[in-house]
Amino acid sequence: MLRGLLVSCSRGPGVRLLSSFSSEPLLPPNLILPPGLKDGPTKIHRPPVDLSQPVLRTCRFPVPSHLSPKPVWLESLNNEEQEPQALVHLHPDVFDVPPRIDLIHQVVNWQRNFKRISHAKTKTRAEVRGGGKKPWTQKGTGRARQGSIRSPLWKGGGVAHGPRGPTSYYYMLPLKVRVLGLKTAMTVKLAQNDLHIIDSTDISTPDPQYLVDLFKQRHWGESVLIVDDKEGMSENILSATANSKMITLIPAIGMNVYSILKYNTVLLTVGAVDFLEEKLLFHDLRYSTLYNFKYPYSDFP
Amino acid sequence: MAARLLRRTAFDVLKTAVRIQRPCSGSASAVTSQYPGITESHDEYHFVKRLIPPLQVPNPPKHTEVTPSGWIPPKHTPSDLPYFVRRSRMHNIPVYTDITHGNRQMTVIRKIEGDIWALEAEVRDFLTQLKGKTPAIQVNEINRTIRFKGYFDKELQTWLAEKGF
Repeated sequence: MLRGLLVSCSRGPGVRLLSSFSSEPLLPPNLILPPGLKDGPTKIHRPPVDLSQPVLRTCRFPVPSHLSPKPVWLESLNNEEQEPQALVHLHPDVFDVPPRIDLIHQVVNWQRNFKRISHAKTKTRAEVRGGGKKPWTQKGTGRARQGSIRSPLWKGGGVAHGPRGPTSYYYMLPLKVRVLGLKTAMTVKLAQNDLHIIDSTDISTPDPQYLVDLFKQRHWGESVLIVDDKEGMSENILSATANSKMITLIPAIGMNVYSILKYNTVLLTVGAVDFLEEKLLFHDLRYSTLYNFKYPYSDFP
Repeated sequence: MAARLLRRTAFDVLKTAVRIQRPCSGSASAVTSQYPGITESHDEYHFVKRLIPPLQVPNPPKHTEVTPSGWIPPKHTPSDLPYFVRRSRMHNIPVYTDITHGNRQMTVIRKIEGDIWALEAEVRDFLTQLKGKTPAIQVNEINRTIRFKGYFDKELQTWLAEKGF
């Protein structure tokens, strides 16, 4: 988003500047760029065109005949300089779905709201202290008739139609909507070149600075989300990311749309891709449920 | 206060325990229980296991022609059309009728992939031939649906099946 904004910012005034004095820089001089901005003058890994590279992973689930697997570079956290040498094939029904931005919005709203409890509460005229006695008689004073000094019309009176007590905002989106939202989020992230597949999370050192330097060198942005299947996590990566505020390590079961949008770059291990494809593709070809998912189904992944 | 409450609760529990014990202690010596005990068996578990239902829709058997039920199998040869209409999860062609405002009758084609406007042009031609005039057609590029006035679901399903979807 920031990138798009920047491009559009630089395009408008830049063209105008170029037409008047060609020596002026394209970006306005008072624009302060954050230090780890993703798209500076960088080299970007283009999506693979040369498909002769070895394919280290093929889709485990059948790909529909009118689609083809999506080839993506397999990168590594270990070699700092080397270009990626192999490809992985991703399932097009997970990583190449139509970009339903509306679903991403729905799922993010759901994630933010369904666990929200609003504690806003006001006192009604019955709860404000006092006000039992009629302030003046009904007739004969020449004043408007009043029954209580805590009426909502009075200063210091109760609140009419105010928020009442803890309010739950709990609701559930349909599971298929949540599934499609996650697929869309991953597709969009991959299409924007912000999702990378790595072979594993094994790194040679527990030093947190190593990851920071590596991500800086690859222009992966300030914040990075690393997703691994639970068995694959090594001691080194755990200690390297334990105290980092910008690099987060989560198991594949915790993958969600909000985190995908929150982080600049998402790194998926091959194991996490296997896990996610199995879990997400299951919902494409299933009956509606007979009962809750906590009870057994013979083929639930 | 708390101590008294605790004491009372403890006393209640004791009373309940005595109440429960009394018939048992009286009858235990005289009558044995009429129910047999519980035996744990792992051998018969496969009987339980076959009752647990699957959730996955199975693939249909390989038909070449229209089945007696009227279901038309999709052609597996790839077509050179710029669009594709995928089958629903129950392997039917995703053409549905819809009604709003009590009388606004519409037909919806869902699950369109590829060039949706090419399909729209062909649907427009087909409907013009069918109806004599062009109906109002809506194309939704975001959720990949085409929607038009009138109930033409059966005609559209056979038309799409002839195209091999």
